[in-house]
Amino acid sequence: MKRSAGDKTSQIVIIVLLLLLCFTVIYPFLYMLAISLNEGRDAAKGGVYLWPRSFTLYNFRIVLGNEIIQHSYWITIGRTLLGTVTGLLVTLLAAFGLSYRALPMRGTILGYVLLTMLFSGGLIPFYIQLHDLNLLNSFWVYIVPSAFSAWNMFVMMKFIGGIPEALIESAEMDGAHPFRVLWSIILPLSKPMLAALGLFTGVMHWNDWFAGAFFVSNQNLIPVQTFLQQLLSAQDISAVLGGNNNVEALARGSSLANVTLMSIKMATVMVSAIPILCVYPFLQRYFVKGVLIGSVKG
Amino acid sequence: MLERLAKYRSQYIMIAPAVILLLLFSYIPMAGIQVAFKNFHIGYTIWNAPWTGLENFSFLKDDQFWVVVKNTIIIAVLKFVFGFPAPIILALLINEVRHSGFKRFVQSVSYLPHFFSWIVVAYILQSLLTLDGGLVNQFVTKTGGDPIFFLGSTEWFRPMIVASGLWKEVGWNTILYLAAITTIDPQLYEAAKVEGAGRMAQIRHITLPGIMPTISIVLILSMPSLIAVGMDQIYPLMNPANQPVADVLDTYILRSGLQQGYFGMATAVGLLSSVISLILVLVTNQTARKINGEGLW
Repeated sequence: MKRSAGDKTSQIVIIVLLLLLCFTVIYPFLYMLAISLNEGRDAAKGGVYLWPRSFTLYNFRIVLGNEIIQHSYWITIGRTLLGTVTGLLVTLLAAFGLSYRALPMRGTILGYVLLTMLFSGGLIPFYIQLHDLNLLNSFWVYIVPSAFSAWNMFVMMKFIGGIPEALIESAEMDGAHPFRVLWSIILPLSKPMLAALGLFTGVMHWNDWFAGAFFVSNQNLIPVQTFLQQLLSAQDISAVLGGNNNVEALARGSSLANVTLMSIKMATVMVSAIPILCVYPFLQRYFVKGVLIGSVKG
Repeated sequence: MLERLAKYRSQYIMIAPAVILLLLFSYIPMAGIQVAFKNFHIGYTIWNAPWTGLENFSFLKDDQFWVVVKNTIIIAVLKFVFGFPAPIILALLINEVRHSGFKRFVQSVSYLPHFFSWIVVAYILQSLLTLDGGLVNQFVTKTGGDPIFFLGSTEWFRPMIVASGLWKEVGWNTILYLAAITTIDPQLYEAAKVEGAGRMAQIRHITLPGIMPTISIVLILSMPSLIAVGMDQIYPLMNPANQPVADVLDTYILRSGLQQGYFGMATAVGLLSSVISLILVLVTNQTARKINGEGLW
């Protein structure tokens, strides 16, 4: 097959454009990493673009040694694990229960679920309800209100609908209880779908800063993302790291003077981003699958 | 009847947690909308707070509110105008790449930002744009210009929102289009080549028509969330300096309700915005029904 010169040029132009896109995606992370690995005062002079000029792990030592940050990290990990498991469980149970076409009132219940996707009471009535349920300022505010996802339920129902009914019927012939069918037939067959939806739910929990910022005022309960949100507008280091003993000890031990607010910020944001950067290459294909399962009109 | 219900006891037990959660966190808040017509303070319940008629809707006479409405519409339109065609163009570009390894690499990289929170995006913007030592201002001063206060500027706020929104989601939004492109019959391209059609002609006459159903579905699905302009994105970047253009309906509700305690008024604003969203959903569904012969549900 012949390829014209014009064709070759267009290939080159396209490749250059796409490389440029990749660069704009990756570069900010490299830049933030370089700043976080550089002495703060030195970085503030400018000129650090890609590689730390005056290398130090000091910023990371402060960030990782800070009790507030450590604590917020545990909150994030806790809510991500618990929230994902609860979310998948509650949603899968509902999806499986509703996949029985002969279920009396099935249509009514589906309508009841669908309506919540179309209309909501809005933020303030939701907040008042959280208040009335004593969920404000509680760890459970991260888990309970988001435990059921209508969208995920419809994706799961679509997936379960694709499982041959004969499998389920023959198990039922053998006297299997619906919970038994769910456990030994549906669950093993749904693994790819649960992996994809679990990843989305997990990322949602990992990245959520809103609940921590507005539904929780106890600093011991905020997740990393909310901590980052507070740090974003901080004017000086002590405003966030406060009278923390670890920071003071570090300050006495070495040169806190070399640390700037920017270098601390960059180290903190890298600490929150690195786990995602690490798992992303391995999990990427599941994410893509997840989108495609959900996209087919249900 | 009871017998039939009893037969499905296990199924009802499975569905029960979801039904209860929706009752608690969707339906009771819907009933809470009555707060929009009441004088509510913490201490009352949504039921026993005194009615005040339409007093809470006095924000409609507030100039500030209309500024917020204008900001919301401008940001929604800008995000749509740039955000909707961009992934289609990117998908077409990626599809033109012949080297499959490079193609996969570009896809992987471009999906990545989707997995970071808007807070991380705000940090990236801050590190690049800040006045003292931000990367962009380093270049501006080097080339002899005065440093620009991007993060606190009313002119730069909207471009910043549109650009960072594109940066985060454009790659991710190509997934559906790329999947649609792979379903196009390769014979169509072969036939076109025999006829002597160039790459551009192939895109225009085969690829674009091939993904048109996907484009229309994405268009329809994006309509209802049009006015939810992304509080997650805007709130972290908003400050007193850019608030005149940054304040949108969601941040207005947040501030007047949760921060200033005007629950009734904030609920009323929320009600208005929920109703607009609902109308967009219903209109979209009707349109979809007319075009595709069936609606979204």
